[in-house]
Amino acid sequence: MTPVAKEIVPWIVLSLAAATLPSIGGDYIVGVGMVLLMWLALTQSWAILSSMTGYVSIGHVVFYGLGSYVVVVSWQSLPLAVAIIAAGLVSALFALAVGMPVLRVRGPYFVILTFGLAELVKFAIIALEARMGIASRLIFGAPSIQFIYYAMLLLAAAATLMHIVVHRSRFGHALRSLRENEVAAESVGIPVARYKLYAYVLSAVIPGMVGGVMGLRSTYFEVTQAFDPTISLTIVVMAVIGGGDGVYGPLFGVVFLTVLSEVLWTRAPQLYMVILGLLLILFMLKCPEGLIGRYTTWAAAREGKQR
Amino acid sequence: MTLLDILLSGQLLFSALLLGSLYALVALGLNLVYGTMRLLNVAHGDFVMVGAYAAYGLLTLLGWSPLWAAGLVAVICALAGLCIYELLFRSLLSAQSSVTRIESNSLLLFFGLSVIVQNTMALSVTATPRGYQYLDEIYRLGGVAMTGNRLAALVVALVACGAVGLFLRFNVFGLALRAVIERPDAARVVGVNIELVHRVSFCIGFATAGIAGVLVSMMQEFSPFIGFPFTISAFIVVILGGLGNIFGGFIAAFLLGALETYGVALTSPNLSSVLLYGVFVMALVLFPQGLVAHRATR
Amino acid sequence: MRTYVGNWVYAAALAASLAVMGSVQAKEPPVRIGFSMAQTGMLAQATPSQLNTYMLWKDVVNARGGLDIGGGKRRPIEFVHYDDQSRPDEAVRIYEKLITDDKVDLLLAPWGTPFHIAVAPVLEKYKFPMVGNTAASVAVRRMKPGYIWFTTSAIPDKIGPALTAMATSNGVKSVAVINNVLPYTKELKTFLMPALKAAHVEVKVDEEYPPDIKDMTSLLTRIVQAKPDAVLALAYPSDSVLYAKQARELNVQAGFQFVAIGPSDVPFRKAIGDAANGIVTIGHWVPTRPEWKGAKEFYDRYVKRYHVEPDFLNSDLAWMSCQILEQAVAKVGLDKAKIRDTIAHDTFDTINGKVKFDGVQNIITPTAFLQIQHGKLQLVWPKSIATSQFEPKKGW
Repeated sequence: MTPVAKEIVPWIVLSLAAATLPSIGGDYIVGVGMVLLMWLALTQSWAILSSMTGYVSIGHVVFYGLGSYVVVVSWQSLPLAVAIIAAGLVSALFALAVGMPVLRVRGPYFVILTFGLAELVKFAIIALEARMGIASRLIFGAPSIQFIYYAMLLLAAAATLMHIVVHRSRFGHALRSLRENEVAAESVGIPVARYKLYAYVLSAVIPGMVGGVMGLRSTYFEVTQAFDPTISLTIVVMAVIGGGDGVYGPLFGVVFLTVLSEVLWTRAPQLYMVILGLLLILFMLKCPEGLIGRYTTWAAAREGKQR
Repeated sequence: MTLLDILLSGQLLFSALLLGSLYALVALGLNLVYGTMRLLNVAHGDFVMVGAYAAYGLLTLLGWSPLWAAGLVAVICALAGLCIYELLFRSLLSAQSSVTRIESNSLLLFFGLSVIVQNTMALSVTATPRGYQYLDEIYRLGGVAMTGNRLAALVVALVACGAVGLFLRFNVFGLALRAVIERPDAARVVGVNIELVHRVSFCIGFATAGIAGVLVSMMQEFSPFIGFPFTISAFIVVILGGLGNIFGGFIAAFLLGALETYGVALTSPNLSSVLLYGVFVMALVLFPQGLVAHRATR
Repeated sequence: MRTYVGNWVYAAALAASLAVMGSVQAKEPPVRIGFSMAQTGMLAQATPSQLNTYMLWKDVVNARGGLDIGGGKRRPIEFVHYDDQSRPDEAVRIYEKLITDDKVDLLLAPWGTPFHIAVAPVLEKYKFPMVGNTAASVAVRRMKPGYIWFTTSAIPDKIGPALTAMATSNGVKSVAVINNVLPYTKELKTFLMPALKAAHVEVKVDEEYPPDIKDMTSLLTRIVQAKPDAVLALAYPSDSVLYAKQARELNVQAGFQFVAIGPSDVPFRKAIGDAANGIVTIGHWVPTRPEWKGAKEFYDRYVKRYHVEPDFLNSDLAWMSCQILEQAVAKVGLDKAKIRDTIAHDTFDTINGKVKFDGVQNIITPTAFLQIQHGKLQLVWPKSIATSQFEPKKGW
């Protein structure tokens, strides 16, 4: 098998397995699966920017929220598929518009800026809705959970594929080098500013569409919910837990946290947040390089021993 | 109100100063911790919340006045900060991995801490909002009405910030702390005890958060989840002023307070948050290292 | 000796096992009732009054031997509840889980309008009836009547005209209106303004503010300068306290002062103290109306257990919904279709008087207002259920 095939085949197998879930599971399990796929789509997209370039975004919810708003506003006036694609496009256009100035900022300043940007868009939309006299938006006749599940599966697969392609390409190689040392990368001729922008825009498309689909999940659309900062932070948590430098990190991080949350939430409904926090801390103290990072070290050590 | 009315209004000035001094106090701790250790404490606001509950507890159970309780609360929070440092961060910081790794890992550690603090509080005292009346008399001075507790909060916040500022400026240890902020490697070379500086930063950081919490509890209702907005405001102040730049942080805090007070008056209140974040984003884009340039000494 | 002791041991064991078997047989399997409640997150501060009421109801019913199932046996109530973390989409997942996975027998409502509206399609899909409580929006009327009902009368399009009527009947000719842009208060404003206009009331100040507002000084200064007869602050609990404290500092004078949500619950009065006297707020229940059976009893039980007064709005609504469910189940048992029909057609007795639904809405309970007088809440409008006269607010 060629290296590319080796990398993609496991994912194809996983996707096929995931596609069977709605036929064997009840609504609740499908709901859990859908949430898992949503986080996978979001985290893989985020990784294209933050893992590859080192520009950590804790405001990625801005794309999710924008996408949500586009779909909710165009509900009933646009066919759903068109609306979802429009959601992705609007997100990408926004990223394109703000990307250049925003990516000039470095390090922790960039991190907080992404947060501020998300809040800015959130409050702008709140003010816009207030000005239009709209108190709340209701969605009636939203599609079934099975539909949303499959949509999410498609988006998760697309995001993972995008990550794989970027990771293996020269573009991805350039991103990694600018992560290590931006000035040096520029001096060897990498168009750093342009490449950062591409990564930023690419990382925005799928979250926009994910937000669009999720906007249909609850009949009641509220701006504060759609732009909830916890979404941004959860993405970061999942990515860091997964660790590593490739496409598997997000997968493991997402699965780990989703399963953990589900188990805790059903077994210890009151304490679950506290236990989650404790486990996060324990994880960071014992396994700071992430699950994949730890696996890589272990695998390398094993290989070393066998020699 | 005409533009002139707004700008000359003593009432608005009082509000702006109060908000600014509160922000300055809350941001101070965050700035110290980041400056000396490059740790982004997203749980900072939650310790403001803890300070608020501590003041409430001391008032209702022991009858202690919040202003005196502030001292004890500061000590308690400082000790809490010390424990957290020993338990969680000492190992992290000494494992010399890359700076970005430390930053993102510390983000997660603090995030976990934040979740634990908020939810433990919610479980133990329920999420019902609390409030009390203290120093409720209204003083009127030249057309400006000032509730006693708000005036007291302004004074205490300014004094606390001033005290820490003076400490950093004139005390030898404060000097060492500033050295660690500017050039940690050089500071180590000249013999500064970095570990001690880290510990003291943590203690001051958490103590100031606790004091801010006491002041907040005098002025408004509080519940276990009010911490996050304070963390956000603190981050905005710290970023605008320049990370690790304590003096810049003070300026940025009063700028923020003025923006939130006068901005509301000049535009419509609905646009105030848009204005706030708009200015924040614009400022960072134009001045990527913060508004108040921090010139490293030679 | 051994045999003697052995006999006693044997007899004791037999007696014990008989007793255990007997109690097992006397014990009916519990009725499992599910719901979600925001116990963490931004809305957690508003839900305790509702959660407390549910818990109290469970204990009161269980003390009586349990829920009366179709006039036959009584079965004890067991709650299955989860934290929706202040997220409506989590609430959706929870209700799906409660119905399909936990397979509960009955459902109680979550807190708040967005949550009720979010779970309505789930109820519709699984044909599972639920009596709503703390939800008020004209949007609820767009819900197909079917499996959800709303007990409150505090719906914005009724409040607008009612508030105007109450204000004008007390001589108000000019008002200042400020509102939080969150859905409920925004909706209130949408229906209040036309009502004020129709009554020829002059609107001297009209301002909106964001939910996270930190300082209302400029808003209130504008109001003080305008000197209106009434100040209508369409506020949520979190900003209602900020409003009251700053209004006190700036000495906002007006005989008629209204704060939409917040004053009906204890934390507001605790935070503001005596200055809260005279404030009018939304609410349609007090424990002292003689014709409302069980009202005083509920109040006393709640105070005894939780050492605070119940929220006159939310706790009352929660208890009403529990009572309606209880009465429906007592009549027709646990069959969901039958429960649905009963709730849709019957008239129920609650601590707030009689309740009957037309579509999703409660058509008997009138739209009413409370006023804080001498630290206590009194009904002051409409006259038909008032327990006290409206008194103009005399300063702070």
